[in-house]
Amino acid sequence: MKFKIGYFYPEQLNLYGDNGNVEILIYRAKKRGIDVEVALVDLGTNLEENRFNLVFMGGGPDSSQKEVYEDLLKDKGPYLKDYINSGGFGLYICGAYQLLGKYYKSADGSILEGLGVFDLYTEHFGNKKPRCIGNVVCELSDEFRHKEVFNSLNKIGSTLVGFENHGGRTYLGEKMLPLGKVIRGYGNNSEDGYEGVLYKNSIGTYLHGPVLSKNPHLADYLIAGSLGLDRLESLDDSLILSAHIASKKLRQ
Amino acid sequence: MTTLVENLIVIISKLIKFISNTFNLGSGYTWPGHVALLVNPNFLKSRRIRFKKGVVLVSGTNGKTTTTKLITHLLEKSGYTVSHNKSGANLLNGIASSIILDFPAFGDLNRDFGVFEVDEGALPLVLSNLKASAVVLLNLSRDQLDRYGEVDIISEKWTKSLLSLNPAPTLIVDGDKDYFNSISQAFKGDTIAFGDSVDYLSRTKLHGLFNASNVNAAVSVVRFFGLKEGDFVSNLDSFEFAYGRGEVIKHGGKEFRVLLAKNPASFEHNLDLLLSEEASEYNLFFALNDKIPDGRDVSWIYDISAEKLREACASKVVYVSGTRYLDMAVRLSYAGVNISKENIFENLQHAVKEITLHGVSEKVICLPNYSSMLELRKILTGKKIL
Repeated sequence: MKFKIGYFYPEQLNLYGDNGNVEILIYRAKKRGIDVEVALVDLGTNLEENRFNLVFMGGGPDSSQKEVYEDLLKDKGPYLKDYINSGGFGLYICGAYQLLGKYYKSADGSILEGLGVFDLYTEHFGNKKPRCIGNVVCELSDEFRHKEVFNSLNKIGSTLVGFENHGGRTYLGEKMLPLGKVIRGYGNNSEDGYEGVLYKNSIGTYLHGPVLSKNPHLADYLIAGSLGLDRLESLDDSLILSAHIASKKLRQ
Repeated sequence: MTTLVENLIVIISKLIKFISNTFNLGSGYTWPGHVALLVNPNFLKSRRIRFKKGVVLVSGTNGKTTTTKLITHLLEKSGYTVSHNKSGANLLNGIASSIILDFPAFGDLNRDFGVFEVDEGALPLVLSNLKASAVVLLNLSRDQLDRYGEVDIISEKWTKSLLSLNPAPTLIVDGDKDYFNSISQAFKGDTIAFGDSVDYLSRTKLHGLFNASNVNAAVSVVRFFGLKEGDFVSNLDSFEFAYGRGEVIKHGGKEFRVLLAKNPASFEHNLDLLLSEEASEYNLFFALNDKIPDGRDVSWIYDISAEKLREACASKVVYVSGTRYLDMAVRLSYAGVNISKENIFENLQHAVKEITLHGVSEKVICLPNYSSMLELRKILTGKKIL
C-alpha cells in the first residue's frame, strides 16, 4: 500500500507554514509503516498519469495566487473538479479554499471566477471590515463527527484549533455543509459562525497552525479515509493532546 | 512645540530614566517619544535635533540590531558622536524616545551621526520624518504575517516611499538578494550593493554567513560616511555582540549562548551556524512566546526545516519553554527530535532553574524568539534590556 499525496503548487502556495501539513501527514503515515510518496504538482506538471490518495493545497501571497489561479483554471481545473466530485480526499487551506469556490469579489468590486466546485463565494470588503486574524477554536459539524472513519480514530474530541488570517469573507451556498462552527474566532465570515466547508471527502478551511499540527484526529481521518482503511495503529499523541487543550484556552 | 514644552519633555524623560536606572527597571520604553509626537507630530523634524554628518536608517527582517550597533561602534571608535536606538525600540516613537534621552539637560541635540534601526512596517513613516542620507536594506522574509502582511506588500511600500524622497538618500542594499532588484532599479538615487564576503566578518567575533552580510552593510555605511579602511578595520575585533544576538551570559555555573530566533530565516541561520561549528557538547533550549511583539501566530515554526532541526538536536538534551512551549515541543517532535516531557516548561524561570541544576553540559545554546529572549536575558542577567 502506498499513500500518494498530490501537493499542489508547493512553490507558490506555501505561506503560513501550511507545508507543515504535508510533513505531518508523512510523519503519521510512516509511523504506521505506510509507504508515502509526495508528488509535487507545479505550474508545468502534467496530471494525466497521476493518481492521488490525497490532494493538499495551501494559501499564498496575492502575487503567487494570481499565477496559480490561471494555471488552475486552464490546466488543472477539470482534473481537480473531477477528482473532488468523484469523492477524492483533499485538504484545501485559505487561498486554495477560496479558489475552489464560485468567485472571489475584491474590495474594488472586481470579480475573480473560481473553479466552482464548492458552492460558496468569497468577498473582500476592504477597509469596511477588519481582517480576520486570531486564534480559532471550532466545534466539528455533526456530519463530520458522524463519519465512521473519523469516529473510529478520534481520541481528541470534537474540536479543531488553529489560527486564521484572511481578508476575504466566505459565504456557503444553502446546501453546503460547514466543517464546523466557531466557538472562538471569526470563521468563514464572522457572521454566520461557520468555519470551513465539508464537501464529499474534501475539506476547505481557513485554519493555519498548521491545521493538522494540533488536530491529529483530522490528520488521521485524512490518512485512513483516503486509503480506505477503517483503523490505524494509535500513536502516542499525549503531547499533541496537551497542545490541543492548551490552544482551546488561547484568547482570540 | 514651544521650546519650553520640549525642554519639559526632555527633563521629565531624563528624570524618569534616572529613576528607572537606579531601580534597575530597564530602558526599552517608548513613552517619551510617544508623548513628544503627540504634542508635536513633527517633533523629529525639529531644528533642535541636529546630526551634522548624517542619518542612516537600517531596515530589514533580520540583522538590524547587530548592523546598527556595528555602525555605531565603528563611528564612535573614529571619534564621532552618535545617537543610536540601541534598545531596539524601532518604531517612530522608539526612535523619538532614544533621541529625547540623548538630549543634554539643557540646549539642543548636536551629534555627528544618527544611526537608527527601523521596523520594516515603519520605514516609510520614519523616512518621512527623519532626513536620511543613507538607507540600508538588509533582507526581507516572512515575519509576523499577522502584523505585517505579506513580504510583497512591504516591498511595495518601501519602493513607493523611497521614490518619493527628495533629495534621495543613498541606498545601501544587499546585492545578493534578488528581490531587492525591483527597488534598486526603480530608485533614482545612488545605490551601493554589498555582498556576503567573509573578509570583514573574520575580523569580528561574529559568526555565520548572515552576519557577513550585516558586517558588510555596516562597512559600506562607514565608508559612505568617509571612513578609511585603515580607520575602521582595526576596530572590528573589539565589537561585542548585540544583546541576545550571540552574546554569552554566565549563569549558575553554565554558559548560556543566546541566539535570537524570531522567524524562519533567523531560526535557520542559527541552525546553520550550529551545524557548521565543531560540534561541542551543549544542551539546546528553545523558547517560543506569542506576545504582541512576537506575532501571535506561531505556525511559522513549521517553515523551519525539519531536517536542520533534527540534525542540530541529534544526541543533544533539548529543553523547551515559553508561552507556546507545547506548540514548540510538538513541532520538534514532528521534526523527529526526541522530546522528554520532563524537559518542557511553561515557565521560563523553571526551565532555566532545571537547566542550571541538572543540565548535563556546561554550554547551553538558547534559541528564543523576541519577547522570550528579553525574558530569558532578564532571568540570566537579573536586569532588563541594557
